[in-house]
Amino acid sequence: MTAIVSCRGVERTYRQGSTETPALYDIDVDIQEGDFATLAGPSGSGKTTLLNAIGGLERPSKGKIVVDGETTTELGKNALANLRLHKIGFVFQSFNLMPVLSAAENVEFTLALLGVPTRERRARACEVLGEVGLAGLERRRPSKLSGGQQQRVAVARALGPKPKIVLADEPTASLDSKSADSLISLMAELNEKRGVTFLIATHDPRVMERVKRNIVMKDGRIISDERRQAATRV
Amino acid sequence: MRHIPLLVPLAWRSLWRNPRRTLITLMIVAVGMWAILTFSALLAAWADSTRTATLRLLTGSGQIHASGYLDEPSIDNRMSPPSGPLLASLGRPPITAWTVRLRAPAIIQSEYRSLPVVFLGVDPRSERVVSDIPREIETGRYLEDSNDPSIVLGRHLLVRLKTRVGKRVVLMMRAADGHLAEQSFQVVGAFSGPLGAQDQYAFTGLKAAQSFAGVGREISEISFSTPKDTDLTAVIRALRKAAPNLDVEDWRSIAPFAYTMTQLAAGNVSMIFTIMVALIAIGIVNAQLMAVFERTREFGLLQALGMRPRLIVLHIAMESGLLLGMGVAAGGVLAWLTLLSFPSGLDLGALASGAERLGAGRVLHLSIDGRAAVAMAGLVWVLGMAAALWPARRATRIDPIKAMATI
Repeated sequence: MTAIVSCRGVERTYRQGSTETPALYDIDVDIQEGDFATLAGPSGSGKTTLLNAIGGLERPSKGKIVVDGETTTELGKNALANLRLHKIGFVFQSFNLMPVLSAAENVEFTLALLGVPTRERRARACEVLGEVGLAGLERRRPSKLSGGQQQRVAVARALGPKPKIVLADEPTASLDSKSADSLISLMAELNEKRGVTFLIATHDPRVMERVKRNIVMKDGRIISDERRQAATRV
Repeated sequence: MRHIPLLVPLAWRSLWRNPRRTLITLMIVAVGMWAILTFSALLAAWADSTRTATLRLLTGSGQIHASGYLDEPSIDNRMSPPSGPLLASLGRPPITAWTVRLRAPAIIQSEYRSLPVVFLGVDPRSERVVSDIPREIETGRYLEDSNDPSIVLGRHLLVRLKTRVGKRVVLMMRAADGHLAEQSFQVVGAFSGPLGAQDQYAFTGLKAAQSFAGVGREISEISFSTPKDTDLTAVIRALRKAAPNLDVEDWRSIAPFAYTMTQLAAGNVSMIFTIMVALIAIGIVNAQLMAVFERTREFGLLQALGMRPRLIVLHIAMESGLLLGMGVAAGGVLAWLTLLSFPSGLDLGALASGAERLGAGRVLHLSIDGRAAVAMAGLVWVLGMAAALWPARRATRIDPIKAMATI
C-alpha cells in the first residue's frame, strides 16, 4: 500500500510569552491509501493538533509531513490552500457549512474553487449527496437540515473533489447517538466500497469500534497503533 | 475572474444575512452620494449664477480700457473707439458681441437729495446684447439710441432720490477740460436687478454723454462677450496683440470678488466630496468589520477548505462593491429626483438679498453634468472599495483553527 500521509519527527510546541507548551512529541506515522483510521485519545492528547498539522492548518515546530508526495512543511500559505483544495477533504465537529448556501451549493463550492464547470459540478454535487443519503434535500439550506443531515452534507462536501484523504475532527461529537451511528456507517461504507481514506480524530468509542486502524495518543505521543478487521455493522 | 460567478451570489446572500445593518449602510452611502451630487449641483449653480450675474451686468467676458483707467477710473483716462486690428479682432469669433461706453463718476441730484453715481454713456443697440440691464426695465423705457439725452436709473436709486420716472434730475461731473459740467436729464426708465447696480449706475445715450463730458468721440471702455467655455486667456492674448497700448483684462481680473466666489464654490464641492466620502468609508469599513467579526468562523472555514487569501479579499470586496454600487445608484436617483423637483430653478426667496451680496442671482438653476456625476459616483465607489480592503485583509489573517473554535 502507498502512504498518503507520512509524518516524521513531527513536533509542535505552543509558545505564550516565555512559557512553552509542547503538544506533539516526535510523531512518526504513515497513513496508507484506503486506511479507515482514528487518532484516538483523551482531550489534550494532541490528536486534533496532529490532524490540523497533516491538513496544513497548523505548522509543526519540527519534523516533516508529506501528503501525497508534497512536503507540506515546506509549502507557503497559498500552496497549502491549494493542497487542501485538491487533496484533502475536511469534516469538522460543528458541521461548518456555509449558512447562505444550499446543501448542493455547499458541495459545489469547493468544486467551483477547483474550476469545475457548472454543469459538471452540479451533477457531482447531486451524486455525492445521493451517496450520503441526502437525495431530494439538495436545495435545502443548512438551517433546514438536522444535525445528522448537516454532517452528511459536510461529508459530501469533503468527498466532492475526490480527495486523497478525508480528515475528520470529532465528526460525531455534535450528533445524537442515532445520527452518530448512521454517520459512522456511512464513512465505513464509503471506505469499504469507494476506497475513501479516512483519518478521524475522536474519543468516541463507537467510532473506534468500527475503524480498521486505531492510533492512540497520549500527552502528544503515539502510544499504540493497532490494525484490525473493521466491524461491519449497518 | 472565473470565480466571479461563484462569489457574486455568495456576497449577495451574505449581505442580506443582516438586513438591518445592510440597509443602514446602504442609507449612509445613498445619503452621502445624494449630498455630493445635490450640493455639487447647488454650488455649481451658485458659481454659475455669480458668474452670469457679474458678466451680464456690465462686465462682459472682458474689458478694454485706456492704459491707467483701471487704477484711476476718471474721465481723464480715455481712448478712441476701436479701429484697425482691434476692431477686426473684436469682430472675430469667439467674441460674440461688444459694446463701447463712456464711464465717469458723477453726482446726481433730485429736488430732495444728492447721491454719487457712475455715469454711463451707452450705445443701446449693442448694450442690449452684452448686458442684461436693458431687459430689466421695470417702469418706463430704456434708451432708444446713442443720441438719446434721457436718463435711466435704478428703481432703488429713484426711491432714495425721492423722485420718479418722468421727473428731471441734475447730473454733475468733471468734464474733460476740467470744468464742472452740469445738465438736467429727464428720467425715462427705471431698472430692477441687483441692488448695488440699481444704486450705482445712471445710463444715457453714448453721444449725449460724450457731448456732456466734452470728450468728442472718445470712450472709457469696451466690453465684449464670449461663449461660456471659451479659453479667455487666448482671447485676451489676441486682443493685447491687436491693441498693445491698451489695458485688456478678462472678467476674473476686473471682478475678482465674483471670481473668488466661483472658485470658493469649486473648493466647497471638493470639501463636501471629501467629507461625504470619509463618512461613506467609515460606514462601509464599520459594516464590513462587523461582518468579518461575526463571520470569523466562516472565513476560517473558507481558508480550511482551500480558498486562497486573495479570493477571500475578493469575496469581501464584492460584498462592499455591491453595497456601494446599490448605495451610489440610489443616491444618484435621489439626487436626480431632487433636481427634477426644481424645474424652474431654486428660488432663494428670502435669502435673495444675501445671495445678491455674494454676487449670485435670485434663482439658481440646478443641474448635474452627467459625466461629472458618473465620475463622482465612480470615484466614491473606488474610494469606498479601497476602504473596504482593510476589513477584507483582516479576514485573510484569521487563523482557521482559532476561527473554527469560536462559537
